[in-house]
Amino acid sequence: MSTYFTRWKKGLLSLILGTTLVFAGCSGSTAPEEGNGAWKVTATTGMVADIVKQVGGEHVEVTQLMGAGVDPHLYKASEGDIKRIDQADIIFYSGLHLEGKMVEIFEKIGKTKPVKPVTAKLTKEDLLADPASPDNPDPHVWFDVSLWMKAVEQVRDDLIAFDAANQADYSANAEKYLAELKELDAYAKAQLASIPKEQRVLVTAHDAFQYFGRAYEVEVLGLQGISTASEYGLKDVQKLVDTLVDRRIKAVFVESSVPKRSIEAVVQGAAAKNHSVSIGGELFSDAMGAPGTPEGNYLGMVKHNVDTIVGALK
Amino acid sequence: MNSFWIILTGSLVAASCGFLGCFLILRRMAMLGDAISHAILPGIVLAFLFSGSREILPMLMGAAIIGLITVFIVQMLHQSGVKSDAAIGVTFTALFSVGVVLVSLYTQQVDLDLDCVLYGEIAYVPWDTWQFGGMDMGPRALWGVGGVFLFSLLIIGLFFKQFKLCAFDPALAAAIGIPVVLFHYLLMTLVSLTTVAAFESVGAILVVAMLVVPSATAYLLTDRLHIMLFISMAVGVLSAILGYFFASWLDSSIAGAMTAVAGLLFFLAFLFSPRHGMISKMVARRKIHIGEA
Repeated sequence: MSTYFTRWKKGLLSLILGTTLVFAGCSGSTAPEEGNGAWKVTATTGMVADIVKQVGGEHVEVTQLMGAGVDPHLYKASEGDIKRIDQADIIFYSGLHLEGKMVEIFEKIGKTKPVKPVTAKLTKEDLLADPASPDNPDPHVWFDVSLWMKAVEQVRDDLIAFDAANQADYSANAEKYLAELKELDAYAKAQLASIPKEQRVLVTAHDAFQYFGRAYEVEVLGLQGISTASEYGLKDVQKLVDTLVDRRIKAVFVESSVPKRSIEAVVQGAAAKNHSVSIGGELFSDAMGAPGTPEGNYLGMVKHNVDTIVGALK
Repeated sequence: MNSFWIILTGSLVAASCGFLGCFLILRRMAMLGDAISHAILPGIVLAFLFSGSREILPMLMGAAIIGLITVFIVQMLHQSGVKSDAAIGVTFTALFSVGVVLVSLYTQQVDLDLDCVLYGEIAYVPWDTWQFGGMDMGPRALWGVGGVFLFSLLIIGLFFKQFKLCAFDPALAAAIGIPVVLFHYLLMTLVSLTTVAAFESVGAILVVAMLVVPSATAYLLTDRLHIMLFISMAVGVLSAILGYFFASWLDSSIAGAMTAVAGLLFFLAFLFSPRHGMISKMVARRKIHIGEA
């Protein structure tokens, strides 16, 4: 018995030592590339990356970890993401647990370089949370444009604290972007107000639109809970179908980062009760559209959602 | 340094899973790791309901307790005559569904799924360091996984003969006075501790795969337990190292690449194993044929 044991131990030890020797040599040789003098900024979601691009302007080179159509809940880091995080001069993330366990890592990295949640300025009154667990607020704040403006101010302040030399540029860029967002906020309010109140109901698969609903007085009915992983109950589907029929709601919506199947079940349920509901279009929820398309930035994404909803419900 | 920590953590997970996996394969319980990965859902929900937070410590405790309960129920059912695959299937689906029901009843509005609050990601291992008395002691995952690995090596090393006999011929083991049931429970406890610690460090898929694939590969290559253990650990470690380089080359998920390499190594063994491989069997069959003619 003891001979077996020592044999494994020797084998194991040599394996570990072997790997140590082989890899000790080839790590840590990542010299920073000489860029155009811009700060390397890494952001998690497209929405956050967009703010940094707008406010940072020519002084930043933004890398985004979660691409178009990626659900942040389901994001998996790739080998290259390690370098993208490691080589960043400053990191921005959304926060409020949107990035899940990654936040714990960000907090650790935060000891060696600035790692900033853009939602830090939001107060308890700004946030929505299930009364049963007030300490775990809904993270989907970007659909209330006025709240996202606070995120822009946060990024501006963080960039100024990080690089005071370019304070004037950051302030001016933020000013300009905030003005655009203010206009967008007014546009969304005006557009949605044109739908009769009784029919101003947004039915989607995943409860990402609570803030949107509060800001623009739209009633939001969802199928799933907050997390894309939670299952919807049979009763949820039934209840939703009944509401659709009772209130003559014309359309329901699918989301870019959530499968269509669940919402299609609702459409069929309503059809069985002789009420025809159309699928009003695809909304962007946890991720923006592909880069280069109009929905590939925050302004375009919100505008797309508002126009799609208004077009289908009016 | 990052690459080194990731490869070392991957290798440690692979070695400790590959090691215990051999015993599981022999007992026809290879999918126990997968079962545990699902069964611990009620553990994290209950831990959240009691503590009100998604901090890692309560989550880990909830998972560890339910992990132990899972393996004990599996062992108990198996002991009373239920086939091992059925015992595993019944236990984990029952526990997982309890978790799903709990989520839909109490935590609808909280983002509480295993991926998000418990399962780690091997890519983040280098940054998640353990601070002890102001000193940086290296990645926390290494200490966690390394600790349980040493513990299993110690326990199984001390009682190797007993574990071996219980795995191959429990009836004989019982006949010569070895407390078979105790050793079964001991092994299951080790499996549960190892998997939960590894889930927290590197995520589920890598652990589930490393419990099955390297030991299945080793089983094709040898019929002797101590050689099988060694090959299994070596296959696991090799998968971790090669997998990392594939991930680096393709800029892909690290755990995914490591698992894929393990699958590839299994396939090679399946084809080319000297005694149990496809090709050697074909050759042997031809020989018999020629001999008959």
